[in-house]
Amino acid sequence: MSFLAPLFFVGLGAIAIPIFVHLIQRERKRVIEFPSLMFVQKIPYQSVRRRRIRHWFLLLMRAAAVALIVAAFARPFFPQSAAAQIAALGGTRELVIVLDQSASMGYGDHWQRAQDEARKAIGSIGAADRATLVLFSRNAEESMRATPDRGRLEAALGTAKLTSGATRYGPALKLAESILSRSSQQRKEAILISDFQKSGWTGSEDVHFPDGMTLTPVSVGTPDVTNLAVPSANFARATFSNQERITVTAGVANKGGQPATNVPVTLEIDGHLIETKSVSVAPNASASVTFAPFTLADPQVHGVIKAGSDNFPADNTFDFVMTPSQQVSILIVTSGSGGNDTFYLSKALSIGNTPAFQVEVVPAARVTPQMLDKRSVVVLNDTIVPPGLAGGALKRYVERGGGLLIAFGDHSAWPTTETDLLPGKLGSVVDRTDGRGATIGTRDYSHQVFEIFKAPRSGDFSAVRVLRYRALEPGPTDRVIARYDDGAVAAVEKRVGSGRVIAWTTSLDDSWTDLALKPVYLPLVHQLTRYLSQYEQTSYWSTVGQAIDLATTYKAKADRVVMTPTGERLRMAAADPGVLELNEHGMYEIRSASNGSGRPDRIAVNLDPAESDLTPLDPSELVAAVTGHATSTAVAAAEKPAELTAEEAERRQNVWWYLLLAGVLLLAAEMAVANQLSRTGERFT
Amino acid sequence: MSHDSRGEMPGARFVDPKILARVGNLELLAKTVVDGFINGLHRAPFFGASIDFAEHRQYVAGDDIRRVDWKLWARTDRYYVKQYEADTNTNFTVLFDISRSMKFSSGGVSKLEYGAFLGACLGYLATRQRDRVGIITFDEDIVTHVPPSAKHFDMVLHTLDRAKAEKPGHLSAPLHRMAEHFKRRGILLLISDFYDEPEAILDAIKPLKFLGNDLIVFHVLDPQEINFDYDEASAFEDLESRDQIPVVPQSFRDQYRSLIQEHVTSLRTKFSEQRIDYALLNTSEPLDRALFSYLSSREKMMRVR
Repeated sequence: MSFLAPLFFVGLGAIAIPIFVHLIQRERKRVIEFPSLMFVQKIPYQSVRRRRIRHWFLLLMRAAAVALIVAAFARPFFPQSAAAQIAALGGTRELVIVLDQSASMGYGDHWQRAQDEARKAIGSIGAADRATLVLFSRNAEESMRATPDRGRLEAALGTAKLTSGATRYGPALKLAESILSRSSQQRKEAILISDFQKSGWTGSEDVHFPDGMTLTPVSVGTPDVTNLAVPSANFARATFSNQERITVTAGVANKGGQPATNVPVTLEIDGHLIETKSVSVAPNASASVTFAPFTLADPQVHGVIKAGSDNFPADNTFDFVMTPSQQVSILIVTSGSGGNDTFYLSKALSIGNTPAFQVEVVPAARVTPQMLDKRSVVVLNDTIVPPGLAGGALKRYVERGGGLLIAFGDHSAWPTTETDLLPGKLGSVVDRTDGRGATIGTRDYSHQVFEIFKAPRSGDFSAVRVLRYRALEPGPTDRVIARYDDGAVAAVEKRVGSGRVIAWTTSLDDSWTDLALKPVYLPLVHQLTRYLSQYEQTSYWSTVGQAIDLATTYKAKADRVVMTPTGERLRMAAADPGVLELNEHGMYEIRSASNGSGRPDRIAVNLDPAESDLTPLDPSELVAAVTGHATSTAVAAAEKPAELTAEEAERRQNVWWYLLLAGVLLLAAEMAVANQLSRTGERFT
Repeated sequence: MSHDSRGEMPGARFVDPKILARVGNLELLAKTVVDGFINGLHRAPFFGASIDFAEHRQYVAGDDIRRVDWKLWARTDRYYVKQYEADTNTNFTVLFDISRSMKFSSGGVSKLEYGAFLGACLGYLATRQRDRVGIITFDEDIVTHVPPSAKHFDMVLHTLDRAKAEKPGHLSAPLHRMAEHFKRRGILLLISDFYDEPEAILDAIKPLKFLGNDLIVFHVLDPQEINFDYDEASAFEDLESRDQIPVVPQSFRDQYRSLIQEHVTSLRTKFSEQRIDYALLNTSEPLDRALFSYLSSREKMMRVR
């Protein structure tokens, strides 16, 4: 509190008057004449008692009244904070406090400073103002909807915690804009409190504050930060003596301006230190560390890579979960006519370890239903439906989730009893040998099979010549995923039960097409078999913010209990959608609710690598992008508020009036009390 | 002497008929024989013309030869003079302290008024006994002096009526001067509040006894002086010295009462030792009752003697 006329405080000396009256004058005003004081003088007495104050309450009332009146004359006023001054400059306001709670705010004391700034902003709201607290990281949420109650806002702020999420300014600013646009208050302001990570703002966010809304950036970032991070790791598998050996290569990034030398990088597997290496990383550069291979003994091992230590420890560790590789078992059924009709296919499937394919080639005549057990994909390569699988066995296999790839050729034939397995209605052979042959003109890149060929120079199908193919008229529910240049169907998919069937209308060897000789053959075959086997590549780690479908990942339907890295237990019923959002970094453990003692499935979750990049964004750049006028008066006022003069502030607040009124009321009360006491005293005297 | 509108003498109000109705039943007897001219109830202090023979003594040169007992000379051939014990009237002088402390009153009559009543009553009584009545008022000095006379009762009343307590008082100086002044024995009635040390008071009074005066002391005090029943802390002003002292009565009361009681006891003891009649009178008590009790005790003492 400040005072416009502090010299008036000299008047506080007047407080001595009532004290003097109480102590001395009060006794003098009643003089009792007494014949002689010769006996009184003989009595020893204590001066304290003689000077004692009998009516403390009265004295306090008088002193307080004098103090209040003097304080009123001194013209007090409250010097205002920047935000409060803005508030004083006109009208009620709607304030949205947008507070960054992303993982990067855990750097040093950024979070504490951000909370302090938020408290200041809350403290600046007036009685008629309203404020909303928006917490954001990757997403934004209203922690406290528009309220003038500072207590509730403070409480909401107190319960706010750092998250592991990445920084995204877009959703938060959009939410702030929508809150402000709904408000009927005269002034609409948003305060963005953040470390202003550059990675959180791409510039393409469609956020625009209309005129009348202001955005005040409050940066709690630290210039010249140093930060080491382990953003990723690679895992190379090798089989040695029927055991898988994993070689881990960790990337270490130095996101600071200073070189990091001899940074210890350690690899721990299931809590055991495997190896420590040191690495030096240049400023704003990365380095990799390759550890000695370790043998994968258990079905699931938890590995941790740690690199150095700094003010942002969350990104110095990198978790992963390693599982043994899964093989895709493929049964290739041939016509049994001899020749090398499966040569190219077998060779193509013998390559690759993600996944590794286990191929068995069997003539159609020798195929038995038992051969379908534990097969992921059955390929009918230029052959008939095996007699052993006719009569529903193949259909049941597909319905249970098996994959069926049908490649047509000279020996292909499809019985009418199995038409419900074939995608479409099979026609005759189309001979395109008269010209250059047909090419695969159209591919559905949205389909998983062709997705990898979407990017330019990701597979040249134009060089493929198809001399013959079987005409196929797809059913209404079948999905054509490739067509020839004449519009005929090249590949079509049909869903049967849980399984998938793809009909490839030409051969997979070199009899009808030269596809097997082209570079796209191998990835295409791999994609086809991966898709049909419904192979999901096991990820070694996830990133904060990802959501996983437990029902898909863990196919058994059961109630599950998820334990988050912070120890929170989430119960997910079998009937629930089963989508688990990974909001914390660390290790999630998923157990079956019915078998709590069993080995849990584990998911390693790491920070978004972008969160490790603490390079700051110029707040004015963000303000300019959002408001459209970085130098607007409103924003300028927010950053550098126009200062009210002391006289103006005092005039606006009018505190003196209340003090004077209180003083006068106190005097009136004092008079009443004093009269009452006086009457009481007279009765006794 | 002026008369008021009701045709009464000034000072006549002091003679309260109710009081006199009770006091008149008693006889005021002087303890010692006082010489005088009117035969009365008092025994004369001197041997002289009287009907009650007292004793013979040998003639000495200068004796009146009319008093020689010639019959005894005839028997013994020696000159003896006859001496008689004669009843006579006496001087009754009121010594009235009118120092400022006497004007104190806590609500009823002031000590000055009470003392005036007292003096008037006893003066009237003395007049009826044909004693000569006089008065001396004093504070730090003698203020008024009315010599004892059979005709001065009105003046005594007048003096009592006009007495005003205006100056601080002191017993010693005026009483010493009085002692020098008295030529004849008589009854001295001293009315005061005796605010002094008992020894100093006694020293001041002793000279009055030297002539053989019969001294009666009335110690007049207001009830507040005895009880000190004040409640509120106040500044107390000494009426004599005008000094002020802040006093919290609650804390002083017990000690004050003890001190005043000690003072009264000390005075009573010391006066008794000097054969001086002492009575403590409270201005809240009826005047007639105070006189009655005093005169009763006085009569008893006479009988004992």
